[in-house]
Order: sequence, then structure tokens, then C-alpha cells
Amino acid sequence: MRYLRLLWTFFRVGVMGELAYRANFFAQLFESLLELGTAIAGLAVVFSYTSTLGGWTPDQVLALVGVFFLVGGAIRLMIQPSLEQLIESVRDGTLDFTLVKPEDAQLLSSIQRVEIWKLTDVGLGIGVLAFALVRLGARVGAPQAAGFAAALIAGGVIVYSFWMILATSAFWLVRVENILMVFQSMYEAGRWPVSIYPGWLRFALTFIVPVAFAVTLPAQALAGRLTWQVLAGSWVFAAALFTAARLFWRAGLRRYGGASA
Amino acid sequence: MDDAAAIRVRDLRKTYVVSEREAGAAAALRSLVRRRTSEIAAVDGISFSLSPGEVVGFLGPNGAGKTTTLKMLSGLLHPSAGDLSVLGHAPYRREKAFLRQITLVMGQRNQLVWDIPAADSFELNRAIYRIPRLEFRRTLEELTSLLELGPLLGKPVRNLSLGERMKCEIAAALLHRPRVVFLDEPTIGLDVTMQRRIRAFLTEYNLRFGATVLLTSHYMADVEALCRRVLVIHHGRLLFDGELAALVQRFTAHKTIVVRLQDCTADLSAYGEVVSCEEGLATLRVAKDLTARVTERLLADLPVVDLTVEDPPIEEVIERVFAQGTA
Amino acid sequence: MDGAKGGVSGLPGLYAQQFKTSLAMMLQYRASLVIWLISHVLDPLVYLVVWTTVSRSSGGSVGGYGAAEFAAYFIVLMLVNHVTYTWIMFEFEYRVRHGSLSFALLRPVHPIHSDLADNISSKIITFPLILAAAAILAMIFRPVFHVEAWAAAAFLPALLLAFGVRFLMEWTLALAAFWTTRVGAINQVYFIAALFLSGQMAPLSLLPAPLRLAATILPFRWTTSFPVELLLGRVGWTDTLTGLCVQAGWIVLCLLLLRLVWRAGVSVYSAVGA
Repeated sequence: MRYLRLLWTFFRVGVMGELAYRANFFAQLFESLLELGTAIAGLAVVFSYTSTLGGWTPDQVLALVGVFFLVGGAIRLMIQPSLEQLIESVRDGTLDFTLVKPEDAQLLSSIQRVEIWKLTDVGLGIGVLAFALVRLGARVGAPQAAGFAAALIAGGVIVYSFWMILATSAFWLVRVENILMVFQSMYEAGRWPVSIYPGWLRFALTFIVPVAFAVTLPAQALAGRLTWQVLAGSWVFAAALFTAARLFWRAGLRRYGGASA
Repeated sequence: MDDAAAIRVRDLRKTYVVSEREAGAAAALRSLVRRRTSEIAAVDGISFSLSPGEVVGFLGPNGAGKTTTLKMLSGLLHPSAGDLSVLGHAPYRREKAFLRQITLVMGQRNQLVWDIPAADSFELNRAIYRIPRLEFRRTLEELTSLLELGPLLGKPVRNLSLGERMKCEIAAALLHRPRVVFLDEPTIGLDVTMQRRIRAFLTEYNLRFGATVLLTSHYMADVEALCRRVLVIHHGRLLFDGELAALVQRFTAHKTIVVRLQDCTADLSAYGEVVSCEEGLATLRVAKDLTARVTERLLADLPVVDLTVEDPPIEEVIERVFAQGTA
Repeated sequence: MDGAKGGVSGLPGLYAQQFKTSLAMMLQYRASLVIWLISHVLDPLVYLVVWTTVSRSSGGSVGGYGAAEFAAYFIVLMLVNHVTYTWIMFEFEYRVRHGSLSFALLRPVHPIHSDLADNISSKIITFPLILAAAAILAMIFRPVFHVEAWAAAAFLPALLLAFGVRFLMEWTLALAAFWTTRVGAINQVYFIAALFLSGQMAPLSLLPAPLRLAATILPFRWTTSFPVELLLGRVGWTDTLTGLCVQAGWIVLCLLLLRLVWRAGVSVYSAVGA
């Protein structure tokens, strides 16, 4: 549909711009491999002392790490750079240019920048995920795969809406970039299955910073530990949060344009 | 009112609520309890209308309300009161059909993406405005030749000079052949040659494509070069709406006489107000009705090498208009 | 341009002045301090939960650490890490790139002093907060301590020496910015090494032997893990004395290295121009 075509154009232009800088690709590859190596080394140390972590087997946690990199890469590919630019544009007034275009401003603001080399994170994540799936073997069938896809989509919508809400607060607050950094730190906690955390932390990592939806839930689906009730719940939450983000955005635009409340 | 008007504004107002606070800790505490607010009228009831194809200049000092008016016309700001219609639409509704026919250029602010060549930014606009390929290529060719963009399009925007960037900005804004073009201080920060080039382009563009152009500036030269009609704004009010020549006529009580003499030894104060005298070039300010007489006397009394009678610089005229407006 | 040891007599007054300005500045940069604070609480918390989970599924304890001991370890680690951390490796690259280093070079005092003052003054503000966080975590996770009086006495010097080692080491590493713009890669390698080798990911005794050896030979154990082990009563008193000497030795080594690298770096910087 139209939106997808627009998305593709922005993506294509972003890619073309960066293709010339191959050094950046290698730098990103180096960084991503180091991060992945760290995560796997950590797993190795932990699993040298136990055979399960809160009920998760090593291969299941490996799949989790794969999802972590995949989702993290997807966020840092387009959502994060675009919304960071949105926050700046609210401050320096270049948002005006976006608002004067005949296309939905929220859409334009969400796709305006692409950090193309973050695709290595996505690629590595898929690689690790595939490797873990092979080891999990027969235990992953069609229903698990479908659950995984569904959970991933819901998780993606939730994370995007969450970021959108944070970025929209720039219409009211001045220094929002710092809040984005807090998300980064909390996202790191998603490298481990959220179910091992004590209740209050689990709550924070589910509803305050929705890491659980983005990473743990899809991994749970693959491990066959996701009930359809929870999956349905995540879809409901996704729809609600997306609507909330949209309404909040409209309120932000009204404030920006000086409309009386 | 004129039904064929491209832009119609009636009694437009924009007020901001500002909280006042004096400096100091005591005042800060007080403001927690009781917020004292005041209203500032950025635009205080202006009315005008533009016919299609007109090129009009909005003139005024900083803070006069010109940018605010422009933002209301382009749908970026909601008016506090008044009627506003551009191409038959209410701008603040930001309907897609409306946005497709207008464009905005802001001096010193870029819509072009920084790291990629301008041509790629043009691609993005093509997709956003849904411009058919053939039409896009034709428009781009025309703009490239009019603005001499050839070698610039392939370079990343961050490698272009300020003037080159502005040319690309303007091109990007015109790719979809808008019927109304809003320009907010487009030549600010540019060197004189580039300013002239852009003015020439805008004139040419208006002639070729018949777009209505509304331009704000505090550079008199912009307005002089481009606009026959001028709207002067100060403190949110319209002080003058009409032809530039008429503006000069109405608000000048003086003329300037520039005399070239051998040197500056002679005392010229008897002839009029001596503005300056440097190496024999004297500038005098003389009341309009006395101009002819003073000229006669100067020519008779002094060894004049050259003499010209000029209208005062328009800056002076404008200052006068503002001064009268505040009175 | 003098080394760190130049003009010793004027230093106390300088530091007093520097503290006042740094304190004021840190109060301005509250937001970035909060971010550091959050990650300083969250990171050890995550590993605390991970390891207590592991110990629970392994019959109650792992390598001499039960759930309560892990809690003690990571809470103390949290405090020690916060006291010893620096952010100079990120900031230095910024300075070199934006030329603000030139201003620092014009002053008659080595820039390390103002960085030290900044570091300490920020911690004056944030330490109470992290102490509060530690107290809350202690209430939740019920740590168990086996502290002896002499170990507690030796803790403070060990902590200060650890700060010295870490500050000097990271300051010297930050100077890599003089030679390359890709300090991001260097920083990443360093922080990953620190994650494993300074005991942030797990107590060093739980790591495989080669890593443990690397941690002891390199300064990493001495920047963070050693004071923690000491306070938890896991170091005998002879080893404690040896450890303190090793820390002191590393400080001397780092000072020498810093002088050399600084001089080399400044000549490169001035040759190229800001």
C-alpha cells in the first residue's frame, strides 16, 4: 500500500547514501560481532554452572539473544535515528518542513532517517536465531513459528509506540534525549529472559519500558512457552499503545501549532 | 471581497500567553503560587488579499509578526481569531489537497537531508508529492537550468556552500510546481551576488509559472527587486499595503542631494542638513518642496562637479513608517 | 605544559576553586548524571538476579556463593563501581574533535586536575543516591556479610587506590583520541574487557582460570574487584597487603605511562593544529 512504497523510497535513499562508505560497514560489523561475542561469552559462563536458567535451556536463551539483536537492530535501524531527528526538529523548527508536506507527519517523522549499517545487527540476530532453532530442532513447529511472528509484530508495534510517546514529549519538555538514553540502559536488561526478574522489575520491563514484549515474548513463543492468552494480551496492548501514541502525537501537534486546547 | 483571490485574510489575530516573572528567588516562589500572565499580540488584526500570480513582499523589523503571519498562511500555526483562506482552503486544517499546492522556504533552515546528495532529497520529495516521473524530470530540468544546479546535484548537501545549498533548497521546494510559494527571509546570510541571483530566479519563476509569491524579509533590496506590492507590518499591525513607489512617495518628506565638489571645506549647512562629507562627496538632506531651489543655489554658488537628486534610502522610509506606526 | 607533578604548592588552592566550579557544573548536568546512575544500579542488578537464579537451580550455591552472598557481592560492587568510574574516555574524543582541548592546553595547569575535580564533585552529588539504591536493594535481596574488622579497615585504602588505578588508566587510554577518531572501537574493547575482568559480570572466582589470570596480571582486578573481595572477607590478610602493594605499583606505572603518552599526544595535536 502507499505507506509501504513511501517507506521503501526512504529506505532506498538512505541505503544509496551510505553504500559509498564501506569502512563504516566494517566498523559496524566489528562492533556488532564484539557485542554478540560478549553476550555469548556471558551465556557460556552462566551455563557452565547450571543447565537451566529460570526454566530456560541454553538453546532457548541463545534464541532469546538472537531476538534481542534482531529487535535491537531493527530499532536502531530506523525508529531510533528518525525519532531522535524528530526531537531535534521540534527544537530547531525544521519540523515545519515536515508539517507543510502533504503526507501524514507522524509517518514522515518516523521514517526520515535510516542507519543502514545497523542491518548487520539484524543479520547477526537472524543468524544466531537460526542457529538456535536448528539446535532446538523438532521442538519448533508451525504453531511456534506463527506465535513467534505474531509476538514479534506485536512487540514491534509496542516498542515503536513507546518510542513515539517518548519523542512526542519533546513538544512539552526540553531535554528529551536523556530519556532516550535511559531506554537504552533498560533495554540491555532484555538480554536475559524477563521471567527471572523479581515481580516489580518484571513489571517495569514490561509496562514501563516494554522490553519484555519486544524480546522475551517472541523468544517464549519459539520455546513453546507462550500461551495464546498472553499473545492475545500483547496484541491488545499493542493496539492500545499505538492509539495512545497517535492521540498523544495529535495533542503535541496542536500544542506546536499554538491551537487553543 | 475578491472571489478570485488566491489568499484572503481578514482581521487575522494571533495572541500568545506569556507568564511574567521578575528575577530573584522571592519572585520565583511567588510565581509558584500565583502565575501572572500577559497576552502578547504577535499579529493584531490584519487584513489583505492577494490575486493569483502576485509577488508581494512582507516587510517589517524582527518580531513584527511577518513570520507569524506566514506560518498561519501555511497552516503551521492556528490563528487566534479572524478569517483566513488560501486557495480556498483553511490552512490550519492542513488538508492534503491544500498542502500539495503550497510550498515553504525558510532562510537558514534546511529541509534537504544533510548527508546525501541534493538529487536524493529531490527523490524523496517526488515520492511524497506523488509527482509523475515525466513531469518531475521536466520540472527538474527547468529548475536546474534556471538555477544553474548542474554540478551541485551529485554532491552531499553538507559539502555545498551556503549559497549553493539555498539554491538546492529552493529547487526542492518547487519540484511539485506549487501555486503558492511562501518564502521566509530566503536571502538572509547570503552574499550579495547570490542574493541577486536568487531574486532574479524568483522573478523569472513567477513569470514562467504564474505562482503567487509571498516573501518576508527585512532586506529592503529583496523587496525592491521582486515586489511591486508591499505590506509593511509592525507590532502585528499592517501599516501600509500598496505599491512600493507609493510607499516612498507618501512617507518621504525629504530628498537626498548628492553633490561632488573639489573638497569639503565649504560650509554647506545653509543649504540643508549635511548628512556626510567625504573627499568632496557631500550628502545633503533637503525638504521635498525646497529641492528645486536648493539645487539651483548649489549649482550657482559652488564649483559643482556632479549633482544628483535621490529619494532617501528606503530603509529610512521604512523607519519612518515604523516610527509613525508606533506613535 | 607541565606534568601532573608540576606546581605542587599551588595545587590545594586550585582544587578548592575547581571543586566549586565543578559542583556548579554538575548540578547543571543533572540529566547525564541520572543516566549514569540508572545504569550503575541496573547493570549489577541484572547480574545479581541472573546469578541468584543460577544458584537456586544448582542446589543453593555456586562456587562458594549462595543467593545471599551474590546479593552482598553485587551490592558492594555497585557502590565500588560507582566510586571508581570515570567517563573521560567518551569525553576526550569530543574535546579533540571540537578543539576545546586547545583551551585546556593554554591553561598553566595540567587538564587532568580539572577532570579529577569534576569526577569527584559529581560523585559527591550522586553517591548518596546510589547509597540509597543500595539500601533498598539490600532490603529486597537480603545480603549476608562476613566482615572482619581488619578487612573493613583495609577497605578504604583499597578503594582509594582502586580509584587511582582506574582513573589514571582510563585517562591514559582516553589519549588514544590524539591518534585516531575511531576511539569507539577502542572504548568498546576496553569496556568489554572490564565487564568480564573487573568482576562486573560475575565474581572473578567463578570465571575460568585463564580469565582469572588475565584479570590479575592486567589492572582490571585492581580497579574494582579487589576492594569488593576484601570487604566480603574473601581475601586473607597477607594477600590483602600484597594486593595493596600491587595497586600502588599500578598507580606508579600508570603515572609514568600517562606522562609519556601525554607528551607524545600533545606534540601530535599541536603539529596538526586544533
